[in-house]
Amino acid sequence: MKILSKAALLLLFLGLTASIYAIEIRFAPPDFQTDYTLPGERIPAPSAGFGAWDVLILFAALSTATWLVLKKRSRRGLFLLSIACMMYFGFWRKGCICPVGSLQNVAAAILLPGVGVSAVVVAFFVMPLIFSLFFGRVFCASVCPLGAIQELVAIRPIKISSSLERALGLGKYVYLGVAILGVGTGAGFFVCRYDPFVGLYRLGHSFNMLLAGGVILVLGIFIARPYCRFLCPYGVLLGWMSRFSKWHLDIAPQGKCVDCRLCESSCPYNAMDMPTPIHLMENQDTGKKRTQRLVLLVPVITGIAALAGYLLHEPLSRMHPTVQLSERIAAEDLKLIPEQILETEHFRTSNKTIEQLHDEALALRSKYKVGGALLGAFLGLVIGLKLVGLSVVRKRTVFEPHRETCFSCGRCYPYCPVEPEGTPDVAQERV
Amino acid sequence: MLRKKEFEKSDFLWRVSVAVTVVSGLFVVLVFTLLIVNYLQVQAADPINNLAVKELRDQYAAAPEQDAALAERIRDLDLLTRRAFFTSQYHLRVGGILLLCGSVVFLISLKNMDRWRPEVPELKDRPPNEVEWLSYARSRQLITWTGVVLLAGGLLASYLTESVLASNTTGAPAAPAETAATVATAEAPAAAAPTAAAAETTETAKPAAPVAGAGNAPSWDEMLVNWPSMRGPGSLGVAHFTNAPTEWDVATGAGIKWKAAIPKAGANSPVVWGNRLFLSGADSQTREVYCYDTETGEMVWQKTLESFPNSPAEPPDVTEETGFAAPTMVAHGEQVFAIFANGDIASYDFEGNLVWGYAIGMPENHYGHSSSLIAYDNLLYVQYDDSNDPRLMALDTATGKEVWVAKRKKISWSSPILAQTPMGPQVILCSEKDVDGYQALTGALAWTQECLDGEVAPSAAYANSIVFAANEYAMASAIRLSGTPDAVQSELIWEFDELLPEVSSPVGDGERFYFGTVAGDLVCLNAETGETVYIEELGEGFYSSPVLVGDRIYVIDRDGTMFIVRAGPAFEVIASHSMGEPGFATPAYLDGRIYLRTPQNIYCIE
Amino acid sequence: MDESKKIGRRDFVRGAAAFALAGGTWAAVGTKAEGTVWQLDPNKCTQCGRCATHCVLNPSAVKCMNQFNICGYCDLCFAYLHPGSRERNTGAENLLCPTAAIERKFIEDPYYEYKINEDNCIGCAKCVEACLVFGNGSFYLQVRQDVCINCNECSIAKACPSDAWSRVPASKPYMFITGETPPGQK
Repeated sequence: MKILSKAALLLLFLGLTASIYAIEIRFAPPDFQTDYTLPGERIPAPSAGFGAWDVLILFAALSTATWLVLKKRSRRGLFLLSIACMMYFGFWRKGCICPVGSLQNVAAAILLPGVGVSAVVVAFFVMPLIFSLFFGRVFCASVCPLGAIQELVAIRPIKISSSLERALGLGKYVYLGVAILGVGTGAGFFVCRYDPFVGLYRLGHSFNMLLAGGVILVLGIFIARPYCRFLCPYGVLLGWMSRFSKWHLDIAPQGKCVDCRLCESSCPYNAMDMPTPIHLMENQDTGKKRTQRLVLLVPVITGIAALAGYLLHEPLSRMHPTVQLSERIAAEDLKLIPEQILETEHFRTSNKTIEQLHDEALALRSKYKVGGALLGAFLGLVIGLKLVGLSVVRKRTVFEPHRETCFSCGRCYPYCPVEPEGTPDVAQERV
Repeated sequence: MLRKKEFEKSDFLWRVSVAVTVVSGLFVVLVFTLLIVNYLQVQAADPINNLAVKELRDQYAAAPEQDAALAERIRDLDLLTRRAFFTSQYHLRVGGILLLCGSVVFLISLKNMDRWRPEVPELKDRPPNEVEWLSYARSRQLITWTGVVLLAGGLLASYLTESVLASNTTGAPAAPAETAATVATAEAPAAAAPTAAAAETTETAKPAAPVAGAGNAPSWDEMLVNWPSMRGPGSLGVAHFTNAPTEWDVATGAGIKWKAAIPKAGANSPVVWGNRLFLSGADSQTREVYCYDTETGEMVWQKTLESFPNSPAEPPDVTEETGFAAPTMVAHGEQVFAIFANGDIASYDFEGNLVWGYAIGMPENHYGHSSSLIAYDNLLYVQYDDSNDPRLMALDTATGKEVWVAKRKKISWSSPILAQTPMGPQVILCSEKDVDGYQALTGALAWTQECLDGEVAPSAAYANSIVFAANEYAMASAIRLSGTPDAVQSELIWEFDELLPEVSSPVGDGERFYFGTVAGDLVCLNAETGETVYIEELGEGFYSSPVLVGDRIYVIDRDGTMFIVRAGPAFEVIASHSMGEPGFATPAYLDGRIYLRTPQNIYCIE
Repeated sequence: MDESKKIGRRDFVRGAAAFALAGGTWAAVGTKAEGTVWQLDPNKCTQCGRCATHCVLNPSAVKCMNQFNICGYCDLCFAYLHPGSRERNTGAENLLCPTAAIERKFIEDPYYEYKINEDNCIGCAKCVEACLVFGNGSFYLQVRQDVCINCNECSIAKACPSDAWSRVPASKPYMFITGETPPGQK
């Protein structure tokens, strides 16, 4: 009854007031006559996050993968390692934080003022890149939890044409650019938001993301590693590093190769480059001219793409929640959409004025002008350089994996007829 | 050459693998289907928003007596829902693990199928290398086309998407601030004597008041000689006539010109225009407007509001003290306006004919809508306290059509005031957090100050370019207005928080602000400095607001005792008279008379 | 000779790249190297109910807590009892909590203790709202850090309409309604 009388007192007439405050002590905490003591709240500490232990395990996994790829040359070993890594980084650590996502944390620390990133996350970001710089993409081979699960389901891979592969491969550059734009403007971590496999590792997520993960995996039975090849933004960086790797997975050396093409047909990723006999080389002048033309075209393409990116700032800015809210409020005020959603309803009762919100959104939009232009320039440059790269064919005398796209998965090892089992050749140092 | 273990065959193991693959594949499909079904079940068995339980609970709460059978049904259903929810979640988890295990077996056996009947790789001849050249050329083409498609798609997107944001935020013109100081200094010496406050307001108002642009809209001068709204003209708490009686006696009837009964309850105050006095009353079902003759106290007419097409079917949720007719009406020239707790608003002429009326829509308001109406020129201001869409609407008095609407951030239970500032007429509103000043004619937000908090009931006071707003649990704040009509400056000049009003609204005489508290204190503060002039215990607590009549403050307490206090630096009670009935409404003070509403009656004191 | 020069240059580039990579990212770490966790500010929370529905975990890692040192120990607790209730007992018809996660215990006349059973709590915030409107506001939502898996991007934070979520230092993983003051004994 104590409450009721108090409540009644609060319900005053004509202009009746009672204050709703975040903390207003309406009822004084009691003075207990008995020896009751306040129980105190359970405030559990954070479950041990990623720490030095995980960095060590990552290092060990990368080292093992390197050894399996370069020394032991064992596809089976890599397969088992990827199961182990999937179990640990995926199911046990719930897929968070992974090096792929750490890309965003590092980008945020670089681009946003006042945002820090812990040393563990930096280690997660840097270690696979450095391994890649020396040994190729051993991280992709069997350590990455996203790659591992796809590698395991790729049972009946079919080959897609290498030209299509290269065109679709542009997707990962777009994803990388958009993800960094999202981070740099504070719109969010898209790589994590649209991580298709993390839901499977946690056995729960939004229904749609689980479904997307399932679909990608079923697709992955036939088109091996679709996420890695066409979407993975971290793969772009790994590829760049791997291009300059000191040691790399290789197949039968010159002189021993029997030109059987088994390694080429065994690679589902179109990552095995063929030897290029001199007598079949293209006319040098034609090639030279084309290359020169393309090199001159690169800045033009970059410029056009930058302009297009700049023009796109308006739709791009909609990736930011503040811009979304602002546009939604504006549309509601113009009576273009009838009902309020929870977000706009809450905004309207907040202290911020609509003008402030709109100003904020417009300021963000001008940020997207710069961001959009940079994104465009990046994509233009990538396309231009890809065209130049595809214009020259490096002379090769043997079958060798393409250092940028090869995942070092070792699928080609068992197919090569010249390597007797148990006596692996020492990996050749790259010249 | 191919002697590797990898290429050994085994028909038996292959058969086993095929069988395992088929079985595990079927298992995966089955579990997957069950999981989807279970997922949909979890969605349905949501314990938070279970409609069936909610319905039963409503029935249970609405039943006149405790219904044990119904309680039992709620318990059963509640248990069922919760059990369904938690077991479904358990099923989801177990199902997820089963699906995972099934998939692993499926994949392993699929792999083994390949393992035990491998396609023997064939050694091929050296390939025609032209193929690779072709592939490079095709790649260049494809990449170029991809680039072109990205470019075209992007450009198309940038042209197709038109942002509503750009068209909506054309940006308010920047406010020039130079003229502010000069206006403020010119305005400063205006406050001469406390009694001049009312007159002073009129004088400064004249240049800003609109020149009867809307035909027969009453002028500010006409409003001053009437009592058009709660707390008088502009809701400022200042009476134009200074000759209100100071002596009467309810017990003997001395000084009581007439007394009339009011049919239905209402927490609103009387308004008077010419020789007509208006009140409203309502219960959960009916809403009524009453018109009395100010000379005789006879009821001239009584109208029941018909339901409008969109009137809410259910009565609004209001507290007992707010009731269904808390907002005071407004009388304005030839029309009178009333609004009720369910959002029905109507206008009558002085003969009692409905001019217009409609249902604004049920306001979401947890005590009940209680802001009073106010009118100026040809606009009727409705502070609509709907927490879903709090807003200030200006309606055309002749038609009821919306002329403009200003969004507010929060609702309150206070009422708008109309202040004739040197920067033009402004409608000033209090809400949780803010005091806002709107240009009366355009609805443009002229200024805003964050100085309130909680559920605000008292309205603001205004005198001599200073706005005074206060609420319990917050602060009392004085805000000085200066600048030009296009760029009004507002400055918080002082704050006070020793005692604060909860319901009763403050009043200012130009030199001081006065307010009454629920505990029964009368507080007087220096308008310029905020220094306490006096704090005196007076009466049993105030819901009704003090009104400045000449050099006197009139205020009635909840027990119904009218106190007449000298307006000035020294506290002096001139007289006090008990009405014998509780006092809550703010009386009307007009030309030697006081019209005073009690729960059941309306008195005319002369 | 030509070959060896080439190798030297490559190695140099590689070494420089590794150095730049490690050094550059290390520079980005700056001084703020402490780990962070997600938490919601109860003073900004508007009890929209999304904490219960948007967590990647099921049930959500967000649970209600009762801060005892500002709890009124009311007999008639609106966070515990449904507004339509007619008796103060544990019958489902009288309880506000949809999962019966609040446990009521008699202490002394007229005081009752209200404890949250976290196994049952799904973070729907119904009691939080009631306590805020009618009581002291001692019930509020907090991320239980032992349950939370600390996603890189929190799904609830993304869905929160009132901007109440943020990353906080792992050393101070809770945001109490009384600000810095930790709850506990009076």
